[in-house]
Amino acid sequence: MTTHPVTTGDPLRDPPRDPLGRYSRQMRVHGVGETGQRRLASATVLIVGCGALGSHSAQALVRAGVGTVWLVDRDIVELSNLQRQVLFSEADAIAGVPKAIAAAAALGGANSACRVVPHVADCSLDFLRNLPARPDLVLDGTDNFPTRYLLNDWCAEQGVPWIYAGAVGSEGAAMVVPAGGPCLRCLWPEAPQGADVGNCETVGILQPAIAAVTAFQVAEALKLLVGAAPTRGVFTCDVWRGQYLLQQVADRPAPDCPVCRRERFPALLAAPTEAVTLCGRDAVQIDPGSRAPIDLAALAARLDGAVDDLRRTAHLLRFAADGCRFSVFPGGRTLVFGVQDPLRARALFDRWVGAHGGAS
Amino acid sequence: MSDDDLLYLDHAATSWPKPQVVLDAMRRWYEQVGVSAERGDGERCQVARAEVAAARRGLGALCGLGGDRVAFVSGATEGLNLTLRALLRPGHRVLTTAFEHSSVVRPLAALRAPLGLSLEVLPPDPDGGLAATGMAAAIARHRPDVLVFTHASNVTGAVFDAAAFAAAARAAGCTSVLDVSQTAGWLPVDVGADVVVGSAHKALLGPPGLGFVIARPGVALAPQKQGGTGSSQALERHPEAWPTAFEAGTPNTPAIFGLAAALRWADAHPAPPRLAACLEEVERLADALGQLPGVQLLRPPPGPRTPVLSLTLADADPAELGLVLDAARIHVRSGHHCAPWLHQHLGTQASGTVRIAPGAPLGDRDRQRLVEAVASAAGG
Repeated sequence: MTTHPVTTGDPLRDPPRDPLGRYSRQMRVHGVGETGQRRLASATVLIVGCGALGSHSAQALVRAGVGTVWLVDRDIVELSNLQRQVLFSEADAIAGVPKAIAAAAALGGANSACRVVPHVADCSLDFLRNLPARPDLVLDGTDNFPTRYLLNDWCAEQGVPWIYAGAVGSEGAAMVVPAGGPCLRCLWPEAPQGADVGNCETVGILQPAIAAVTAFQVAEALKLLVGAAPTRGVFTCDVWRGQYLLQQVADRPAPDCPVCRRERFPALLAAPTEAVTLCGRDAVQIDPGSRAPIDLAALAARLDGAVDDLRRTAHLLRFAADGCRFSVFPGGRTLVFGVQDPLRARALFDRWVGAHGGAS
Repeated sequence: MSDDDLLYLDHAATSWPKPQVVLDAMRRWYEQVGVSAERGDGERCQVARAEVAAARRGLGALCGLGGDRVAFVSGATEGLNLTLRALLRPGHRVLTTAFEHSSVVRPLAALRAPLGLSLEVLPPDPDGGLAATGMAAAIARHRPDVLVFTHASNVTGAVFDAAAFAAAARAAGCTSVLDVSQTAGWLPVDVGADVVVGSAHKALLGPPGLGFVIARPGVALAPQKQGGTGSSQALERHPEAWPTAFEAGTPNTPAIFGLAAALRWADAHPAPPRLAACLEEVERLADALGQLPGVQLLRPPPGPRTPVLSLTLADADPAELGLVLDAARIHVRSGHHCAPWLHQHLGTQASGTVRIAPGAPLGDRDRQRLVEAVASAAGG
């Protein structure tokens, strides 16, 4: 049996003689230094989505010494998350703890000098506009394109950089969107159609794909926060094939991009998705607002094999998933049976019906 | 959006469209009056006072009473809350029916434990009605202090023998509270109940945001809120006289103007023929829809009824049918219609029903549209 030296006092609570000492290995890296470390400590980062991507990036930023991290996620921890969502435990899944809460609790012990603020909420325009202050950086940890386009447009309006990241199957992609563009709309003017894009439920997801894209995302985040120039281009990877590429993109915003020209921010004008609990029912009606109409045939093809009791009628598409029954109408309106919480219903809607693409 | 092709069949929730005179009267208040009746002595206040008094008289007449025992409230929900909270005392015995709206069910649920109420809920008869003999037996058995009941089911349209219920209650020394939200405007509500509570915006064709409490002389109700009344202003103590005692705060005078106009409109357009035409329409719809495979109608027993038709489909949830009809520009109501107890007895507690409630007969083309839309969902 080895005898460990007994330490007296609490290294965290006692006034630390060298508060930056814990980051000594990080500060030694060229480009960070003590100045960079102090910048990290004074920075505020909003991480949107606290699933696989968000839990990887949140953990890295908190350990790296970012002063304030806001986590926003509307979903709860489920057993099928644990394979890749590194901050959660089986106990969280059994209790159905909101992801933002569980993540903040898990991170509490990693770095007490970092303020982690969880928000159990939908990352809507309303949510963004009611943030207590403007963050220095936004990290994409979402699983859907409508939210990414909202982040894109809101960040452009506010002059805040953000870093796109997405992963599905064994593939992933990430890109820095600097405050002055080029932005997501310069590359893809409109969000991909929901029914056309695979997601983690239908195509699956490998944890290394998450690790690869968040490695790029977190490195770029640290660079931006310490004041270094970010990497230009789209990072893509396929961890199954062992391919890691940096695709070059134009240095400047697309000439006709309404967001970079500051003419129009489409996602800030769009009608929000509405979710209303049906009177007296264990059911929620989702009205997808101004999103593109949903092609029921394409949706059925995408869901085939991933959900139960998939059935198409003259009027609607029915299926069962996550313990709930769904009825999707051609305009995109959806009834979710077996749930009363509108936030949960919207999360399920975006997971199974809405425009998708990326890790959750 | 053009409403030319909108088929509105949700009059049991709120009537639409309102008679033009109702809109005109409300507009007149906003444009030419603008003040409350009891808040000053000017010419405009006199105009407001006259119209508010006319509305009170009109409502009082519905109940065979004058206007001086008519209090305006924000709706039947406030009226029922006010009445139940004012009447019920610790240990009281309360009798009610399985047909009640949440505006009775929920106040009773909230008051039950704090007041130690003994609550009995009379279930529907096997035919879906409530026989007067059954009510009399329940009163004899339960010996209630207060009987609170709806005049008609907002789910099936069954109309109950309120006069017999009220008489049985009175004979037993029990105070009766009658909810006429579903019947005022269609049927006489002068049935001898001690307190009558209703809503302006359904069959009375008035605006939303207005209801009424009418109490027979001798029924003591204490106000449940205190505040400015425009009278006795120098006193700290809230006035006790009807109707001022119950109307603390700025009244919804434009809505009262609208209701006064609606009551005058109803004088010129009596309810019986309008109701008969709507009931005939419901029978036509029942005949056509009842033949569709998988459609189950939830009909009231023979006898008086209001024009509502509830149905369920074998293969579709009522919420799904509601959206199918909405896509066909037909506005109905799906769900439980805020009648939580009744669905336990109808076997529809899981999903409720789809309720079709016309306010006027449908043209052949519109009826066909409705039947085809239901048929397409039924066959789905």
